[in-house]
Amino acid sequence: MADVNITVDGKAVKTPAGTLLIEACKSVGIEVPSFCYYPNLSLQGACRMCLVKVEKMPKLQTACTTVVAEGMIVTTDSDEIRQARKGMVELLLGNHPLDCPVCDAGGECELQDMTFSYGAAESKYIEPKNHREEQQWSPVVFFDRPRCILCYRCVRVCNEGMDVAALGVQNRGVSSIIAPNNEDHLECEECGMCIDICPVGALTSGSYRYKTRPWEMNHVGTVCTHCGDGCKTTLGVRRADTGMEIVRGDNRDKSGINNDFLCIKGRYAFDFANHQDRLTQPLIRKNGQLTPATWEEAFELIGKKFSAIREKDGGQAIGVIGSNHTTNEENYLLQKFARVVLGSNNIDHHRTADFPAFAAALRGRANATASMRDVYNAPAVLLIGNDPTEKHPLLAWQIRSNVRLHRSRLYVVNSQPIKLRRQAAGFQLIPAGAEGAFAAFLAGEDAALASLGGSKDGWTALRDKLKTEENLVIVFGSELREGDITALVKFGSAVPGAKFLALADYANSRGAADMGLYPDLLPGYLPVAEAGKFHQEWGGIPSAPGLSLPEMAESAKAGKLKALYVVGANPIARFGIDPFVFSKSFVVVQDMFLTETAVIADVVLPAANAYEKSGSVTNTSGDLQLVKKAGEVTGTKGDFEMIVRIADAMGFDVRQLVPFGRGTRADMGQTRGAQSGEADRHAVWLEANGLELKMSPFDPMAILDEIQRLVPGYNISRLALLSGNDQQTNFAASGPAVAQKPELIVPAADGLFRSGTLGRYSHTLHSVMENKDRQPSEEVAAD
Amino acid sequence: MAILKDIAAIAKGMSITFGEMFKPTQVENYPDGPGPFKGAKFQERFRGAHVLQRDENGLEKCVACFLCAAACPSNCIYIEAAENTEEHRVSGAERYAKVYDIDYNRCIFCGYCVEACPTDAITHGHGFELASFNASNLVYRKEQMLAPQPAHLGANSIFNQAEVEGGTPSLPAQGA
Amino acid sequence: MADLVSHSDEVKIVSRRFGQGAANLDRYLELDGYKAVQKALSMQPDDIINLVKNSGLRGRGGAGFSTGMKWSFVPKTAPKPKYVLCNGDESEPGTCKDRLIFEHDPHSVIEGVMIAALAVGSQAGYIYIRGEYRYLSNIMQKAIADAYARGFIGKNIFGSGRDLEIYWHGGAGAYEVGEESALMESLEGKRGIPRIRPPFPAVVGLWGGPTVINNAETLASVPHILLGGAEWYAGLGTPKNGGTRLFCLSGNLNKPGVYELPMGYNLKKMIEEVGGGIANGRKLKAVVPGGSSTPVLLPNEIDVAMDFDSVAKAGSMLGSGGVVVLDDTTCMVKFALRTIKFYQHESCGWCIPCREGTDWLKKTLTRFHHGAGQKKDIDNIQYLAENMLGRTFCPLGDAAAMPTIAFVKKFRQEFEDHLDGKPCPYEKNVAEPALA
Repeated sequence: MADVNITVDGKAVKTPAGTLLIEACKSVGIEVPSFCYYPNLSLQGACRMCLVKVEKMPKLQTACTTVVAEGMIVTTDSDEIRQARKGMVELLLGNHPLDCPVCDAGGECELQDMTFSYGAAESKYIEPKNHREEQQWSPVVFFDRPRCILCYRCVRVCNEGMDVAALGVQNRGVSSIIAPNNEDHLECEECGMCIDICPVGALTSGSYRYKTRPWEMNHVGTVCTHCGDGCKTTLGVRRADTGMEIVRGDNRDKSGINNDFLCIKGRYAFDFANHQDRLTQPLIRKNGQLTPATWEEAFELIGKKFSAIREKDGGQAIGVIGSNHTTNEENYLLQKFARVVLGSNNIDHHRTADFPAFAAALRGRANATASMRDVYNAPAVLLIGNDPTEKHPLLAWQIRSNVRLHRSRLYVVNSQPIKLRRQAAGFQLIPAGAEGAFAAFLAGEDAALASLGGSKDGWTALRDKLKTEENLVIVFGSELREGDITALVKFGSAVPGAKFLALADYANSRGAADMGLYPDLLPGYLPVAEAGKFHQEWGGIPSAPGLSLPEMAESAKAGKLKALYVVGANPIARFGIDPFVFSKSFVVVQDMFLTETAVIADVVLPAANAYEKSGSVTNTSGDLQLVKKAGEVTGTKGDFEMIVRIADAMGFDVRQLVPFGRGTRADMGQTRGAQSGEADRHAVWLEANGLELKMSPFDPMAILDEIQRLVPGYNISRLALLSGNDQQTNFAASGPAVAQKPELIVPAADGLFRSGTLGRYSHTLHSVMENKDRQPSEEVAAD
Repeated sequence: MAILKDIAAIAKGMSITFGEMFKPTQVENYPDGPGPFKGAKFQERFRGAHVLQRDENGLEKCVACFLCAAACPSNCIYIEAAENTEEHRVSGAERYAKVYDIDYNRCIFCGYCVEACPTDAITHGHGFELASFNASNLVYRKEQMLAPQPAHLGANSIFNQAEVEGGTPSLPAQGA
Repeated sequence: MADLVSHSDEVKIVSRRFGQGAANLDRYLELDGYKAVQKALSMQPDDIINLVKNSGLRGRGGAGFSTGMKWSFVPKTAPKPKYVLCNGDESEPGTCKDRLIFEHDPHSVIEGVMIAALAVGSQAGYIYIRGEYRYLSNIMQKAIADAYARGFIGKNIFGSGRDLEIYWHGGAGAYEVGEESALMESLEGKRGIPRIRPPFPAVVGLWGGPTVINNAETLASVPHILLGGAEWYAGLGTPKNGGTRLFCLSGNLNKPGVYELPMGYNLKKMIEEVGGGIANGRKLKAVVPGGSSTPVLLPNEIDVAMDFDSVAKAGSMLGSGGVVVLDDTTCMVKFALRTIKFYQHESCGWCIPCREGTDWLKKTLTRFHHGAGQKKDIDNIQYLAENMLGRTFCPLGDAAAMPTIAFVKKFRQEFEDHLDGKPCPYEKNVAEPALA
């Protein structure tokens, strides 16, 4: 659209036509106050705080509803305007309880800010304030009615943003109240967006309320560790007896791919970290019992055992199982440890999507993967399989927002009537398991129609329509594997600008795959047999493919697998493996809790979770982001440090494992950047330009250097990464992957309120599920 | 004449002595005086050890707003907040201070915390004998600073009224 | 049903069929019914609009916007259906004119809606009647059913090949819904809350389609204009204020009632002659000239012509034609309180100044009237009202603020008489509990 010239407070402003005046003012640094205006939500004009003087208009105008017009002359600050705003604040404070000292919003309350700005400290009224009792609407949502200023942000974000519509307005006039649409409780996705968006302390969170005050916390921007979407979250941490306790999660600064969105898991389910069952010291099996031991004992024992088995039976007698929750650096280090230190290709993880097939299909095709941002901006989206509302809340949010704000077209093909069909321009129900047939049909195989059901004309029309959609983003769930993905990519190559997004279930599933936690693939989906840069860099590594996860169990049963090293995974529960197959093997488990796998271990090492360490993770769409240490539980160690310590205990020169020091040896202790809310800018710059020595073998940045150098697609801007931005990794140079075993892909049984092991130990998720009468399924455990 | 001079000088000297003998004493009989302050007297405005006040119902006035901690220039106040429940009500408002520590190693008795307090919960008492051989004894806990229950509600088992007026803790010094 | 009144100065146009049983369709046809719409069917839409424009007809709901102009804003072609709405949500205190039209001449409203629909090219009309007018809804529903039965509305009206559906809709009891965009929200089944403008209803209205919304009296005037001609109608009133309007005289008068008088009729004359003077020989104290939303006029200000422009010049508004006459036994503080109570009750609660402002005005005035007022309260009341004025989302806030400011400014002495715990000078007993 053409630009429009306006004048704001004497400043000439050029802004695209159709811009709201309040945004135009903001673009030149003039802040117009408002309560009810919220970007990307429908306009209200209800709070009257944004009144400005527009020349040639008799009354003051609301900047939030006025669209700029050529030649408009605007005054945003005058006595009249200040008085109008002061009057509004006075009226609001009339009924607002002055309980700021106990209110959770105190210190970050927009009404407080406005009162400071416009000064309405004196009360003109002597009548009693209208009072109502506080209500609890759900385990996580409390409503303190008198504090509410009726800006309707919560109602709008619930209706428009979340498409849940759990909130509404009751009564009229001064008795108007925000109320759940379902009598006295919320029937919703418990995302907490209403609490987050509340400008005052009317809506408070069950997990955070009355615990602390905003300025008493440290705020650490990191990435959520639940599903594979990679939402940025700012964790509020405070000192506790056991280290640093996380008390709040939000993304108020709107950084990252998720803007201010977080689902229930990102917002509340960090509480597993402080569960009473958390392991805080190493356990060694003595006389059949797991008994507490020191770290030195544990590492010495593991080092001795692993070395002995490697010497006696060779590397193939040791199996390694990695995690979907650990960082890229840890995953890379783990597979390097397996291949270089143990001399074994027996490394695997719980696969939730067929990334090798995806990488093979996209090999050589630049810009063919869609980032989470692309999903928000694409003119059209095709969603095959999966239920993003339940399993990928951010993806669902991006799609919903895209449809709502950009009028993009969504096409959904699913075997269930998933909720996103409400946003869909076209929805096709197919029989369960027919997703692959649909991919084949798209690729031109009309014979596949037989298993799709419905009329041929309808399907052909859909295919023709999709072919005309430029810049289509094709999102598919793990229902599509191997040949299906190839077929889909074949179809996509006929659509100009089409991009693809494969959905995997865990926080770093994509990272685990990219980092080569496969028995037959090195990082970047290079086949182990192929001599390449890894062989050169690392020296002799085994070139025969190792054992996959089920094969390791088989091998252990046969007595061939002498040792198993499990890092942050729970294969026994997840794959239903008989625990006794490992009774003769030496099992080492690194985990937060005594999981089904940990209880059979010979050594259990208490691990830190993703909120308690630094590194990087890759979300399901390939966006690389930095995680920063926020919480801390005394007695735990990060997986990175433990792997290095085990290598050291095996007598391996850790300098071969972690390229640190360059001759300097100095243990810097904790990973840098821990607990600092804000990045040390100088250090970031040095780090980004490779000018800072990595002086600790526990510094994940040292490994990130190697990852960037060796793993195709990961050579992104380090500065952007360290500044907290997301970077799309590139698939084009990956592969060629070898054929995978699709039957090894087991989708997580997670939903909106479930998150594998993490969810099992989250008090909030449990209380919400109990409230919803959905039973937390004990048998469903995952890593 | 010299003798007269001497007598005059002695008389002058003794007159001051005898004059002072009948004036009220200016010296405070500390530490042998009566009362919790052992004879020491203070101006009202004297800022001694803190006292956390209670309201007329015996509930703690402190609502754990953290404003004292925010105002404290030496960062010596540590608070953990918790929510009141119907069964367990500690303060009059929604929340209370589960933990309230003042580190007298760092406190400079500036009174900013008292100024900041929106509920008049924290006040300066007149307690002054704070010295200790062990620095860790100087971290005072909430229980050590809390005013007693009003008389009609039964006295705080840890304190007696006199001690609270004095503002000195009666807990035995740890490690002493 | 109220008795009808009359006066020799009346010019009966809209009210010409009152009391003649015109609710009956046959009787209505005898009295030139449905002739205007048949004439309209033979005219070009633009001609109808120009005719109405030239007649000087201005909206009878209160704002006084030119009706023909309003119709001309509707785009000729639109992707969405166009609608014509009749605003019969008459709730302004002191106003009771539409009620008589619905009761005595319901078909004239239907005819007006039809002509408007023909003028703007709409095929659907809604007649929205205030929820409290339940008995009128029955009359209106019967009228619509009768018109359908004769084929006057529905498919192929009067054999012209054109379709036009007309529906009746009842309100749920909200003054706010008298505001045109809130009425559309209400019609759509939502909370009665006004919409942000622009876009204006003529472009985006009901269900997103271009919409004409007019007061019932305005629409009921249209058939007469079509039959009588623009010049005739314009000539009845003063320049730019065409025709006649129904004035609702109420309060301390000898002959209160609804009178149809030409626009620009002198207010003083209206009170003294048409209304029969002040009842019981008392003295006139104040006049509210256009419904409770309009600022009060003092006895020395009432020598004014009752048209939109002249009353505005006198510092008030013609509004909806509800003339409330107060004699010298009235306590103006109580009157202000009664007015504010209404607005406090009817505020939709959407925007801050109206929601909170009316409530605090009510609380303060209640206390004030019961003798607990302080001197600064008088200024506070004015300050509060001034903070509301011109800053609310819709005119309801202004409607509450404007009269309040006028009461304080013009009757400050009376407010001061309530100070210092003195009982209301006009009442021996305070009927309402303090601080209710």
